[in-house]
Amino acid sequence: MAQDRDLEDYRACLIDGLKVRARRSACGSSDPIHVFVNEHRVGTLDGGGTETTFQIQIQTRIDTVELRSEDGVLLGGLSAPEYGFRTAHIPISGDTIQLRVHNTAQGGSATAMFTPAPSSWRRIWKTLAASAEATVRLPTVMMGPRIRVVAVAQLLLAIVVVGLAADRIAVWMAPERTPSMVTQAEAPWAASLPEVTKLERQLGELAQMQARTVDTIQLQQQGMAQLQSTITKLSSTQEKVVSNMLTVRQEMEKQQKGSGREVRQMTRLLMGKALSEQEQLEAEIHSLTVANDRLSEKMVGLEQDNEELKKKLKAAGVDVSKAVVSGHGNATTTRPPDIGQTPQSLQAADSRSNIQLQPFLFWVAFSEGTTQESIDQWLREMDGRKGVLNEGWQEVAIVQPAVPPDRFLDRIREAKIVKAVRTNR
Amino acid sequence: MPDRTTTVIRLEDVVRTADEFDQLVSQALPVFLDRATSSTKRYLRETGQWADDVAHEKFVLRWGAEYLERFLVCGRSEAPCRPLFLLDSFVAKQHSQPDPFCYHPDLLTPLGRYLDGLVARAVISRDALIALYHHCYGMGPRDVIAITGLNELESQRIYKNFRRWRDSGWQRTMDEIGMTDVELEELVVQQQRHPQRFHHEAERLVRFAQAHYRKSEPDHYPCLSRSQWGAMFSEGHGCDYRLWHLVLCADCIQTAWDLGRNGDETIGKPRVELHVRP
Repeated sequence: MAQDRDLEDYRACLIDGLKVRARRSACGSSDPIHVFVNEHRVGTLDGGGTETTFQIQIQTRIDTVELRSEDGVLLGGLSAPEYGFRTAHIPISGDTIQLRVHNTAQGGSATAMFTPAPSSWRRIWKTLAASAEATVRLPTVMMGPRIRVVAVAQLLLAIVVVGLAADRIAVWMAPERTPSMVTQAEAPWAASLPEVTKLERQLGELAQMQARTVDTIQLQQQGMAQLQSTITKLSSTQEKVVSNMLTVRQEMEKQQKGSGREVRQMTRLLMGKALSEQEQLEAEIHSLTVANDRLSEKMVGLEQDNEELKKKLKAAGVDVSKAVVSGHGNATTTRPPDIGQTPQSLQAADSRSNIQLQPFLFWVAFSEGTTQESIDQWLREMDGRKGVLNEGWQEVAIVQPAVPPDRFLDRIREAKIVKAVRTNR
Repeated sequence: MPDRTTTVIRLEDVVRTADEFDQLVSQALPVFLDRATSSTKRYLRETGQWADDVAHEKFVLRWGAEYLERFLVCGRSEAPCRPLFLLDSFVAKQHSQPDPFCYHPDLLTPLGRYLDGLVARAVISRDALIALYHHCYGMGPRDVIAITGLNELESQRIYKNFRRWRDSGWQRTMDEIGMTDVELEELVVQQQRHPQRFHHEAERLVRFAQAHYRKSEPDHYPCLSRSQWGAMFSEGHGCDYRLWHLVLCADCIQTAWDLGRNGDETIGKPRVELHVRP
């Protein structure tokens, strides 16, 4: 039973502590404020009346930023978003601390900026705090209207007490009070009557003064409330502007990054395409060159064949004329061979065989010191036929190789005595 | 009880602004405290650390209140939100950490609770940190200044720290950890009756608590060798390091106790000697 009561008391005590939380701090306005990030103390903010900033950047994500007084009271804090910005204004004794946290993939950063209250507000606040003899570090957000009323009432009470005390002292010290012509028995009444009258008058003046003071304070409070709301609006607008700017900047960066990436991709694509086209062109040029070489070789072969055919035709014509001359007068029943037909049929037959046995022509430069015997032996091995020698290039003709020309030429180049090979003149 | 039910229904709703959050939560502090406490109890049960006694009940109440205090301050920046579920996630996040709090059965005795509460408070309050020099080693402000080798400017704060602790800090800490006057008196009596045994036990528990809470030191100030401490003292840097680490490490204070004395021979080698009252 006693234990239950003990627990219940403890629970009530904790709840009371939570209710008054920030008002419990016994620290002064000049005491440092400790900054905690992820529940680790990372530094202090000097609350000495000047604008100061504390900044920290860590490798890990920030979860919470907390502000604590020297006596450990939690004055304010901020729960950070997983990614991006968040700000909070924490009013403390009329001063303001702006917390700003930013989480990125690389880590988090936090900034705490202490801004002291404007001087007039500070004066009012100090007066209130002094009169109320209350704790100095009192967040404005926690200060309800009831507390304000109590503070003002206490201030007025203090003024009244001080006024009365001053009045009493002035009365006692006044020169007219010292000479007393009355008896001891009459003294209290005789002395108190003018005093009471005077006191009443002074109290009336004091009441008027108090009323004026209250009016002034109320006006100042209204002004301060308006000022605060304006500041809040201004700061929220500023925050919005800053966040918008950041968003725009991020978007621009994204776009820049995106466009840069696109340009690079496009360039890479175009370069790849150009390279492949170049390669294709080179291959086509090469194949055209090879085909051209072949055609020229064929033309050469055909010209040679043509020459041979012409010679044969001439020789056949001579033979025919001889035969006509020798056989003239003989009863020749047989018709002489058709001159025009024979060469044509021969030419056709030769051209067919030429197409089939078209020699492959190329030119070889032999290594220095290669003997003629070696060259002849090499030609024999290849079953080739030597052509003309022109400026160190030996023309070689062979029967069409069984392998493709390129491969065949590579094989030729592999021979020890061969220095270089080409297929055109 | 019907009021509480009504509040729970409201707490499940969405609050749009930070002011709404403040208003709603301040009206339902008992509900929130119960919720945070029951979550902590469940955590202890599921990790096999729970026992049905007053010490455990007080322990979960204390930590429930700790979480709730942080939630009240940090949760308002999450608006719009659903406060009830936000609290659940907040507490769950704390419990998902490897060592959410310093738990050991020996720290649930009155002496253990007292020491745990003091050292835990020292992590978040400089007043409590400086007062720990007194409670653990019996030092006054001058001894603290001498042993940590502080300059004149820093020294002034030490006096203020001591004063605030004596004025309000100690009592508030005792209230928050649930130490009653009777329990405190019992500690004093035990200390007088069995000083050796009491101090031996106190040193053991202090070292245990220090080892846990030292993880909260700024940038994880590590232990240093005597020469490293000597360099720090002679070069005059690391005031915070010295203040934080030396009082939270019984070994390092033995190593570096005479480096900052500046010829002051009145201070002896510090040994753990518990002072219950401030």
